[in-house]
Amino acid sequence: MVPILSILLLTLLGGTVLTFASGKQARWVALGTSIVFLFETFYLLDAYTAWPGRAGLYAVPQYSFSESYAWISLPWLHINYTVGVDGISLILILLTAFLQIATVVYCWTETNRPAAWFGLVLLTCLGSIGVFIALDILLFFLFWEATLIPMFFMIGYWGGPKRRYAALKFFVYTHVASIVMLVALLAVAFYAHAASFDFADIFVATHSPGFPIVTQALLFLALFFGFGVKFPIVPFHTWLPDAHVEAPTGGSVLLAGLLLKLGGYGLIRWAVEVLPQGLAHTSWIVYAVAFASIVWGSVLSLSQRDLKRMVAYSSINHMGIVLLAIAVYSSLGLLAAVLLMFAHGVVSGLLFMASGSVHHSFGTRDIASLHGITPKAPVLATMIMVGSLASLGLPALISFPAEFAALLATWDRLGYWVVVPLLILVVTAGFYLWMMQRVLFGPPQNVPEKAHDLDVYETAGMAILVALIILYGVLPGFLVNVIVNSPVYGFP
Amino acid sequence: MSGLVLAQFLGLSAALLGIGLFGILTRRNFILLLIAIEVAINAAVLNFVYFAGFASGPGGVSGQAAAVVVVGLAATEVAVGLAIVLALNRQRGSINVAEASTLRQ
Amino acid sequence: MGAFDTLFQWAFLVPLFPLVGFVIVGFFGDRMKKAEYGGWVAVVLSGLAMFVGILIAIGEALSPGTYTDASYTWLNLPGTQSVFSNGFSLVMGTLVDPISALMLVVVNVVGFLVMLYSIAYMHHDQGLPRYYAELSLFLVAMNGLVLSDNLLEFFLFWELVGVCSYFLIGFYYEKPSAASAAKEAFLVTRVGDVLFLLGIFLYFATYATSGGGAGWAASGFKFTNGNTPFLGSLVGSASSPTLTIAGLMMLAGAAGKSAQFPLDVWLPDAMEGPTTVSALIHAATMVAAGVYLLVVVSLFLGFTADDRLAIVAVGGFTTIWAASMALVNTDIKRVVAYSTISQLGYMVLAVGAGFAMVGLYHLFTHAFFKALLFLAAGSVIHAVGTQDLLKMGGLRKSMRVTWIAFFVGAMSLSGIPPFAGFWSKDDVLASVYSQVGAHPLYWPFLLCAFATVFLTAYYIFRAWFLAFDGDGSRDASLPHAHEAPWAMRLPLIVLSGLALVAGLFAFVPSFANLLPGAGVPPTYGTTDLMLSATSVGLGFGGLGLAYLMWGNGRVFTLPADSPLQPFRTVLLRRYYVKDAYDWFGLKAVYGLSRAADFVDQYVIDGTVRGIERAFSQLSDAGRRLQTGVVSDYAAYVVSGLVGLLVFLLWIAPWLVRSVGGG
Repeated sequence: MVPILSILLLTLLGGTVLTFASGKQARWVALGTSIVFLFETFYLLDAYTAWPGRAGLYAVPQYSFSESYAWISLPWLHINYTVGVDGISLILILLTAFLQIATVVYCWTETNRPAAWFGLVLLTCLGSIGVFIALDILLFFLFWEATLIPMFFMIGYWGGPKRRYAALKFFVYTHVASIVMLVALLAVAFYAHAASFDFADIFVATHSPGFPIVTQALLFLALFFGFGVKFPIVPFHTWLPDAHVEAPTGGSVLLAGLLLKLGGYGLIRWAVEVLPQGLAHTSWIVYAVAFASIVWGSVLSLSQRDLKRMVAYSSINHMGIVLLAIAVYSSLGLLAAVLLMFAHGVVSGLLFMASGSVHHSFGTRDIASLHGITPKAPVLATMIMVGSLASLGLPALISFPAEFAALLATWDRLGYWVVVPLLILVVTAGFYLWMMQRVLFGPPQNVPEKAHDLDVYETAGMAILVALIILYGVLPGFLVNVIVNSPVYGFP
Repeated sequence: MSGLVLAQFLGLSAALLGIGLFGILTRRNFILLLIAIEVAINAAVLNFVYFAGFASGPGGVSGQAAAVVVVGLAATEVAVGLAIVLALNRQRGSINVAEASTLRQ
Repeated sequence: MGAFDTLFQWAFLVPLFPLVGFVIVGFFGDRMKKAEYGGWVAVVLSGLAMFVGILIAIGEALSPGTYTDASYTWLNLPGTQSVFSNGFSLVMGTLVDPISALMLVVVNVVGFLVMLYSIAYMHHDQGLPRYYAELSLFLVAMNGLVLSDNLLEFFLFWELVGVCSYFLIGFYYEKPSAASAAKEAFLVTRVGDVLFLLGIFLYFATYATSGGGAGWAASGFKFTNGNTPFLGSLVGSASSPTLTIAGLMMLAGAAGKSAQFPLDVWLPDAMEGPTTVSALIHAATMVAAGVYLLVVVSLFLGFTADDRLAIVAVGGFTTIWAASMALVNTDIKRVVAYSTISQLGYMVLAVGAGFAMVGLYHLFTHAFFKALLFLAAGSVIHAVGTQDLLKMGGLRKSMRVTWIAFFVGAMSLSGIPPFAGFWSKDDVLASVYSQVGAHPLYWPFLLCAFATVFLTAYYIFRAWFLAFDGDGSRDASLPHAHEAPWAMRLPLIVLSGLALVAGLFAFVPSFANLLPGAGVPPTYGTTDLMLSATSVGLGFGGLGLAYLMWGNGRVFTLPADSPLQPFRTVLLRRYYVKDAYDWFGLKAVYGLSRAADFVDQYVIDGTVRGIERAFSQLSDAGRRLQTGVVSDYAAYVVSGLVGLLVFLLWIAPWLVRSVGGG
């Protein structure tokens, strides 16, 4: 059998190294790597056959394309290089592949140290892919941390005026969370007496009857904090707006599109799947946090003046819905969560690209001082419109099936509490529409002489995402059928 | 040899250590500082030698070996230290250690 | 199998033709030599759609039946333990039955005529390809909505027509008022939409459970639930709190889309869009979708008694609420817009009283005469370049066709026989009257509806007299009016004909199959004659009052110091409802958001920064120890060594002793 996942990793690794080394031609290397990677992902999706089913809720999950090699083997410690995927990871790998190629194309004209820039873009994606396929605690943690470093440098070197502050804040926040997460994961392994650090062994150990509920609940909360900061959850969210405002456009795209998804993926794979009893006994905390994030994110978006800040707060709102869908703990909710993560990755990517282009072309992202940009930049205005409409959940665009499933799952578990996220949808529509009214429409004012529409690379980068938004909005079945083919489909 | 003799020997090295430490803490001149360090090190070397003498078997040999290693170490340390002194003198025209505090910034 | 199933399976062509138009005009319209070419492409394709739509309607009229083609699985969702145990598939497809065939006729006939009219009306405007693309997309969505075979698909297209309406209201996006009106329309209907979605969940949960876990496809959720929808009978007597709430949510959705009280504020402002858009979307089709939803739900899912009272209340109150605001308005489009809200109220009233088919009947006639009124108003605006009634006058000499067309529309709207509006409005009133015996609570709303007949005739003829009567333009600055070109006149003539005869269709034997039971009022006989006489009398009364006050003679005018004048202000300010909404949005919600932002920046992030400051002060204190002087470090080393020795030699043994001894 071909070790396809390792090949996937090696493709990106090789591409990254080559990109760093290739000077002015870096963008071509990065583009080539991205295209090869995308086709490998397609191959993976094609080869991913139906998951054979599951004996019961507590049966050990099986993963496709799995590989396992001993890495560190001591009498009391077994660490392996174990990788494998299921439908959930595959969807997120697909998201990574698309975002990577869109980012590389969008940033095509980057002139400030292009080799380093494109190398860091690929490195971020490499780390994310590693997180999505790793099935060993240490390997997982390694890749998890590997995404931090390139993002730190992207914000810190290519960022805006307060980049040092933002980069440090981002780093400290997520690093503290990762430490808590690592300690909690190790504690899970040791307290449950897992045979190794492999996911399967940990799964068996935590599902054995001897593992005390209180321990599970406490460990789950620690993991929830660790992954939650990446979501981000209220009240640990303030790093996100600052990081986005200072990050360069490509960095914002990857940060919102990929890094936030790591939190969601980690929570599903390493907390909910591993400690279902922990979730069951602390679910009210998770619900409260999810509702708080949904309400807080949306309400705050309304009063933001910076386009990027607004989109950042709306990300908090959307990831809150993801958290809610995970917390209801059902296959429907899980499906909704993963679908919504994919949708949010694409849509927020588009919106951050558009914000970046607005800044580039009109010299500001301040909503209050932008007026009527449509006549000067019709294509850019269209992109903003598509992104906003998709983000507020218009049917036939990608977010709608996801939000529909998430709300249905919430209704299923929580009944009339679903009214909270439903009414917040009105607020979400409100701030996007208000933003469009001010920025896109009305008579043009304060439009600088040099203002221009998108160049061909920006258009191409965004067009990839727009195509995905419409394609998967009209035909969500493609994604759903992959997600449904996963071991966690056995949720109640 | 009796315990009394050992106590006297140890008293000598304790005195040497004390003198060395006093020098290290009070001198500001880099060369004097180096000398003080050498004195303190010699206290340790002497200890190795005494104990090697009292010990029997392979332990005694290793004590003497350690003494030789430390002497060699002290020599290299002085070499490096004097090199620093020269560099310092060339750069600042003074070998007062209190003035060489750029590390603080 | 019905006789025309081979025809009905091509129903998907009806939305497909405009979709082709959308793609061609939307992507290649800018590259065509003349902007009108794109317009003609859209006109031809919508004509084809109309052709297929009429064929389907003829098929249904000759052989009524339900045809479904649900073949595309949109989503396969996993089940959950509590409700949807076996998982479920969301299947999309087309459903052709008499009422959807009727709606196809309404949508595509009006759609085609408006497209044709636009060729002349819009030809001065910039961005024509955008206009035709958006209009075509609207027709796609509206036809899709009509042909939906389940509530979710309905909702999907429902939102799409909403977004098309958003784009088209904001067509002149450089006008701040247009941009604001577009936002307002989307946002107000959005409130109804999310509640509608909740209603879908409720129905879904209810029927998916009682359906025995077979899931969506076999649940009562599909529109074809084994019921024969065209008999006009209410389904089931099911009543549970959940179903009542679900029904109320449907009402909320319909109220948003059909601009019923209290979600009616957006429709008058939506007149910022081109008049053609107002005629098609905000008079004939999209706003009627709310009523269509209520009709469909009452036929397939059924409303509880409480729901029906609520629907009657909303509809009945809206008739007089909107009509009263039309009394004083001087903007010709807004007057017609208020009349739309008011007439939609009649439809809602009828559906609530249990006469879905009667509501649909009024929807059908209303679509034609209201589109006619809007297009006639558009012709006037095109000629004189203003919408202000007070600046118009004397147009009847220069614009004969428009003059007559507006008159036909106004007569129909006022419910004067034999115009179309008479038959359906009379039917509504008689139907509701037949229910007040059993439901005395319906009385006030029936009275509202009767009073509105008078008001309607008054305000629409006031507009007619103001625009066309008198001896010439009251404002000399306006250009000399001339009759519209043929592309505008032709739709006016066709619609005038329809506004004359559409009411009679319910009596034509085959065609009546599309509106079973609608033509014959439930209280056929003397009572019905009395009711008709009353409503026609009220209509003529309103007409007469309008003539006295605004006709040539101006026999009677309201004095400036009349005690009624304060009411005028209230009506012009729209009962301050819009002000209240603006306050709520701008002050309450936005203020809350600002307050939350303050908390976010200074409390939450302030805590974070506080922690950061505490650490940096701690490390500042530590920094003082780092003098950089070698001797100081040496001193630290020595004192550390001494401390360690003291600990090991004295403190540790003492600790061991005291613990061991204790």
